[in-house]
Amino acid sequence: MRAFGSLVHLNNVSGGVLAGDRLMLDVDVQAGAAAQITTTGATRLYRHRSGAADSEQLATFAVGDGALLEFLPDAVIPYAGSRHVQRTEFQLGRGSTLFWWDVLAPGRLAAGERFAFERLRVQSQVYVGVRPVLQEDYILEPKGKELSAMPRMFEYSHTASLCAVQEGRPPVFWRTLEDRLNEIARARTEHGRTVWGASMLPSDGVVVRGLSMSGCFIPETLIEFWRTVRLAVTGVEAVLPRKIY
Amino acid sequence: MMPDGDTALLRLLQLADSAIPIGGTAHSFGLETLADEENLTPYGVSTFLTAYLEEAGALETIFVRQSHKGGDLRDLNAKLSARKLARESREASLKLGHRFAELVNGMVGSSLLETNLHYCIAFGAAGRAFGIPVNAVTLAYLNQSIAGLISACQRLMPLGQTAASKILWNLKPAIVRASLSEEALCFSPYLELASMRHGSLETRLFIS
Repeated sequence: MRAFGSLVHLNNVSGGVLAGDRLMLDVDVQAGAAAQITTTGATRLYRHRSGAADSEQLATFAVGDGALLEFLPDAVIPYAGSRHVQRTEFQLGRGSTLFWWDVLAPGRLAAGERFAFERLRVQSQVYVGVRPVLQEDYILEPKGKELSAMPRMFEYSHTASLCAVQEGRPPVFWRTLEDRLNEIARARTEHGRTVWGASMLPSDGVVVRGLSMSGCFIPETLIEFWRTVRLAVTGVEAVLPRKIY
Repeated sequence: MMPDGDTALLRLLQLADSAIPIGGTAHSFGLETLADEENLTPYGVSTFLTAYLEEAGALETIFVRQSHKGGDLRDLNAKLSARKLARESREASLKLGHRFAELVNGMVGSSLLETNLHYCIAFGAAGRAFGIPVNAVTLAYLNQSIAGLISACQRLMPLGQTAASKILWNLKPAIVRASLSEEALCFSPYLELASMRHGSLETRLFIS
């Protein structure tokens, strides 16, 4: 990575995640170190095979004191008939920094798949020391619960999130950043196409949320949010992973 | 029916009264944004709240029940804060919880409840303190929560008293289902976004 740190591309050489797979990623960014971790392509969740366990992906990240981690994976695409559990856990030390985004697609839209997967459970958490600052736990079963219900995804098909955390910043910093991010969100929101919003977390960070009708509408805006928070939090310009978005 | 006496029933009815003076009428938890954008209309309120109960209702049920068991409420509170990503709704929940605890403590004349807890956690703790069975506490919390949202809808759109009463009446099965949730699961990104974007509305009746 230009200026400092390590750039890591994660590559699943099998091409996707299959029923019964248990994939585990354990990352330790040691004190004072910096790393940007991305993927070489979308995480494809293949159709479930009868009799097999649901596929599972567990990623745990420890970010040491004064360390910086950017985890910027490509989208997760649950294919028709897939069943999957995804757990992502971050543990941050004193003065450490995290930038993390994720994007979830509804399936292979070009193949006519929209919410045709069977089950997807997503569990995410970010801890700063012993303080939980972000936790999510949900199960999507499109046949059982209508995802287009208004509290859920309404008319949209893709979700996107960006989380920025740095231990030690005061609440007023995050409140100011929330306002700045919501200016961008207002400018980038086009109802029926994409909707964005931002909020400070209970402590130590901010989160950006987006819903979109297409995966094409997400990258440019997500990168704009990331550049903004990266500069505000670290004082250093973001370095985009060397890939085409 | 309440197995532990008439006093417990009467206390629960008072604690769950929609007119309890804790400032609940100042909060729409993002519904004002949805109404302002004309996505939430009188005809869609019942369907919306059914899905709301399946998500946010199910989540808060778990925290009411866990609070009712006792234990480290500050730790429980921190976990719920981490689940409520939209600042306005998170702060609203904490504000109502604070006022609720202060009201109860004032009525009993002692520091019975911790302040600075989310509303659902404070409510569960109050139920435990007064010996009210957890199922009743959970149902009452969800019922008054939904009643509050329906009341907000009445101020946001042409929804009359009779229609509003009918919506709340017909949501009872959904309230019961939500009260039986066994896992703290919640997926409500569009409502979350509505809460995040609420501060950007040109005119606002509600604080959240």
